[in-house]
Amino acid sequence: MSREKRVKKKVAPTDEGRAAPEREGLLKRKVIEMGETTYKIVSRSVTEYHFTIPFNLDDDERVEVGQIFSIKDGGLTFLARVLNIEHSSNYDGHWDTTIKGTNFFDSDQIFNRVIAEPLGCINKSSEFKKSRTLPTKFAPVVRAETEQFKFLSQVMGDIEIGYLRNGSRLVEEIPVALHSEAMDHHMGVFATTGMGKSNFMKVFAASCMRLSARGESKFGLLIVDPHGEYLKGKSSSKSTIKGLTHLKRYREGLACYSTSKQNASDPGVEELAISENEILPEDIALLYEWSPPQRDALDAISRVLDPQSWLEEIQLPEGMARMLQEGFKDSTINVLIRRIKNELGKNPYIRKRSSLGNILANLQKGKVVLVDIPRMSDRSELFLLSVISRYILDEYKKEEHEGDESRKNCLITIEEAQRVLGAGSNTARFESIAREGRKFGVGLCAITQQPKLIDKQLLSQFNTLVVMGLGDRNDRIQLEESAKQDLSSMDTEIQTLEPGEAVISTLKIPFSVPVRIHRYEDYLRRLDKEDKQESLITRGGFKPFLD
Amino acid sequence: MEDDSRLSLVAELISDHVSLEGLDRYLEETGVQSSDFLPIEPSEFEGEIFAVDGSNSTICGWSTARVNLIRAGYAVYRGAAWRRTVITFDDLLLADPRQCSNLFDPYLREFFGLSGVSFKESDLDRLSSYYRELQEYVAINDALAGARPGDIILYDGSFEVFELLRGVIATIFSRAEKKGVALLAVAKSSSLFWGEEISLPFVQHTGMAGSQLLPKAAWYLSLKDKKVDAGQGKWNGQTYIVRFCEQSEHAFRVDAPSFLQEEMATVLGKLACYSCSAECLGYPHALFRAHRDIRITEEEGAAIRQKLMGKLLENGMSHAEIRMLMGDFHDILEMRSGF
Repeated sequence: MSREKRVKKKVAPTDEGRAAPEREGLLKRKVIEMGETTYKIVSRSVTEYHFTIPFNLDDDERVEVGQIFSIKDGGLTFLARVLNIEHSSNYDGHWDTTIKGTNFFDSDQIFNRVIAEPLGCINKSSEFKKSRTLPTKFAPVVRAETEQFKFLSQVMGDIEIGYLRNGSRLVEEIPVALHSEAMDHHMGVFATTGMGKSNFMKVFAASCMRLSARGESKFGLLIVDPHGEYLKGKSSSKSTIKGLTHLKRYREGLACYSTSKQNASDPGVEELAISENEILPEDIALLYEWSPPQRDALDAISRVLDPQSWLEEIQLPEGMARMLQEGFKDSTINVLIRRIKNELGKNPYIRKRSSLGNILANLQKGKVVLVDIPRMSDRSELFLLSVISRYILDEYKKEEHEGDESRKNCLITIEEAQRVLGAGSNTARFESIAREGRKFGVGLCAITQQPKLIDKQLLSQFNTLVVMGLGDRNDRIQLEESAKQDLSSMDTEIQTLEPGEAVISTLKIPFSVPVRIHRYEDYLRRLDKEDKQESLITRGGFKPFLD
Repeated sequence: MEDDSRLSLVAELISDHVSLEGLDRYLEETGVQSSDFLPIEPSEFEGEIFAVDGSNSTICGWSTARVNLIRAGYAVYRGAAWRRTVITFDDLLLADPRQCSNLFDPYLREFFGLSGVSFKESDLDRLSSYYRELQEYVAINDALAGARPGDIILYDGSFEVFELLRGVIATIFSRAEKKGVALLAVAKSSSLFWGEEISLPFVQHTGMAGSQLLPKAAWYLSLKDKKVDAGQGKWNGQTYIVRFCEQSEHAFRVDAPSFLQEEMATVLGKLACYSCSAECLGYPHALFRAHRDIRITEEEGAAIRQKLMGKLLENGMSHAEIRMLMGDFHDILEMRSGF
C-alpha cells in the first residue's frame, strides 16, 4: 500500500471504498450510569488497597474499621481488612468549606475512601495465601461473607474462645480457636480494666477443661487467682458471675486448690499447702527491696545453711550464729529473720505438707489447675507464684532430661504480669520461663493492663497475643514493636474495640483475627448442654451474648 | 518588570475596562433599558435536561499536522438527579489540513444529510476545534434522539458557529423544533462588548447592571435591537444574557433558536430551578456535570501521550525522532526533564 493510501486509511477509517458507514459504526456510545462509581478498587499497591463507598450509607450498611471485604478478581478472591475510612470526593481543594448553600445535586461525586490492608487471597482450590499481587483496578468489592471465611475453619485450633467478628457483626459459623501447640510459645492477654480479661481467661480455661475431660488436652493450665473470682464466681444484686466450678459437665478437667478454709471445704477443692522445705531464699528475695549486705546474706544462706531446712534453721540461735560467723552483721540477719517470720505468719499455707506434687501431677495430666488465693496481698501472691512456678520449671526440666513423653506441657498464668516481667524487675524466674520455658514445655500466659511496662525482649517471645482494647498509645506501640505479627496497621481497630472484642494474633492462623469472645456464662450453658463427644468448633448458630 | 508606576497605570486601564461606573452610560450606549431586565420565576418540571459538552487535548504535533484527543457527549438529569452520562465520541484525531474532507464528511453525511465542507486556508489552524464542535453537534443530535417533548438540551458554547457548520446548526434547530425540545447554548465566556472608545465587557457589565436593577431575582435580557453585535441574523436565533440564580453574581450569554422566543420565560424558569446547586451556584448544574464528566484531564492526556510514544517505538521510530515529534522546544528552554 502506498504511503498516501495508508495515511488516508488511518486518518479516516470510514473513508470511501466502503459502503456508507452504519450509524453504529460512527457513533460509539458509552453510557455511564448511577451505581457504577463505588465499591470498586481504585488504588493503590500490593500492601494497601483503596476503594470507594457511598458517603451516606444507612446505619446497617456502614463500613467499620476492622471489617473484612472480599474482592473477586478472576480466579482469586482477595481479602482485605478496613484500616481507616476517609472523606473524599472528585472535587479538588477546599470545595466543601467554600460551598454556597447545602443543595447538593451530585451525591455520587462525594464518597468515602476506604483504606484496607490485604490479608491474602484464596485461590480456586480454596487455599489461602499471602498475596504478592494486587486486584485489578476497578475490581468489585463486597463485604466478605461466611463463604469467604470458610478457609479459616481449617486453620483454627482446638481451644475455642469466641466467634469471628467482621467489624461489629458476628460470623457465628466461624468459631475462633487457639492452637494448644502454640501455648508453650507463650501467650499475652492485654486489656485495660473492664474490657473482659477475666471473662476471656474463664472461657479459655473452660475450653481447656473440656479438652482435658475428653482426653484431648495437650497442656495443663495453671491459674493463680488472687481475686477469688475464678473458683465460684461472684454474686451481686445486679448479676451473677459464674466460676470454673460451675462447668459441671467438664468438672473433671479442673483441679482446685484454695488458701481459704471455707472454699477448701467444698468437695473437689483441696486446701493449699506449701512445704517449708520447698521455699528457697530466692523466693523470699523477690518479696522486698534489699540492701546490698542483705542481698549478700540471702545469697549466702543456701551455702551456709541446709537448703532443705534453712527456713527453720535461720530462726534458731544456731543458724543465726553460723550466719554471723560468715561475717554478716547481726542487724542484717535480724532484718532477714523478721521479714521471714512476717511472711510465714501471713501465709498459713506454709506447712509441713505440700500440694505442689499434686499440682504438678494435674498439670502434667493436662488439667486446669486453679489456685484460689482470695484476699492475699500482692507481695504474698508473687511469693506463692514464684514458689510454684520455680517448682514446676525445675520438675519439667528434670523430666525433660528423663525423657517422659507422656506428660503434657504446661501454661502458667500470671496476672498483672508487668510486676514480674517489667524491665528491671527482680524476678528473674519468670523471665527465665519466658526465655527458656519453651524448651521444657512450660509456657507463660501473661495478663496485663500495661504492656508498655513489660520488657520488649520478653514481649517478643510471646507468639500468641490477645489484644482487647488498649487506650494508651504507648501500650499499643510496645505491642506493635514487639509482636511477631505486624499489628501496627491495626492501631485504630485496637483503639476502638468494645468490651468482649479482641484481636488475636497467633501461630498457625495466617493473619490477626478479630474476635468476639464468648460471654462465659453463655458459653457455660452451651458446654453444659452439649454432647460430650460432639466436636465443639463445628457447631454454629450459638448466640454468645444474651440481653 | 518592577516598575511600580507602570503597574499602577495598567491597573487604572483595567479598572476603566472592567468597572461599571453608574448605569446611565451603559444603558445609553447599549440601548438596554431598565425594563428590559425580566425576572425569571423558577419552576420545577418533570422532564429531563441534557447538557452537551466537548473536550480537546493536544497529544503531539509538528509543523504540518497535529494529533488531538477529542471527546464529546452529554449528561442527563431529571430534576436534581443525575441519570447518566453518554460519551458519543472519544478518539484521537490526526488533524492534517489536507485530509479535511475525510475527517468531516462521513459525519456530516450520516447525521445531518449534508454534503462535504470546503475549508479555506485560514480555517486550517483550527481544524481540531472545528472537529470537536462537529462532534458536539453529533452529541446534540444523539441527545435529541433520546429527548422527549418538553425536555431541554443545553449546549456549552454559542450557536454563533463556524460558517461552514451553520448548516448543521440549522438541521439541529429544525429537528428540535419538530420534536418540541428546547435547545439553548450557554456560554461561560463571551467576547460581546460595548462602548465607543474602548471595548467594555458586555456580559459582565450587564450582570452588574441586572444585579442593581433586579437584585433579588434571577433575570434575563434579550439582545434583540440592542447595540451589541452578537451575530444576530446569522444563525436564526436570539441571544440573551441570563442570571440563573439570584444568589449568584454570574450572568451568561444564552443563545436560543427563534422558535423558542415565545417560551423563553418558561424554559429559563425551569432551568433556574436547577441552577442553584451547592457545587456550582448560578450555573445550570447539568452543564457543570457534563464539563466534569467529559473533560480530558492533564493526566489523561499525559497517559495517552506515553502510550502513543510506546507505539511509535514499537513501529521502529527512534527516540530522536520521537523527541522531535513530541518535544516542545519550550521544554528545552525551560530545562524541564523530558523523556
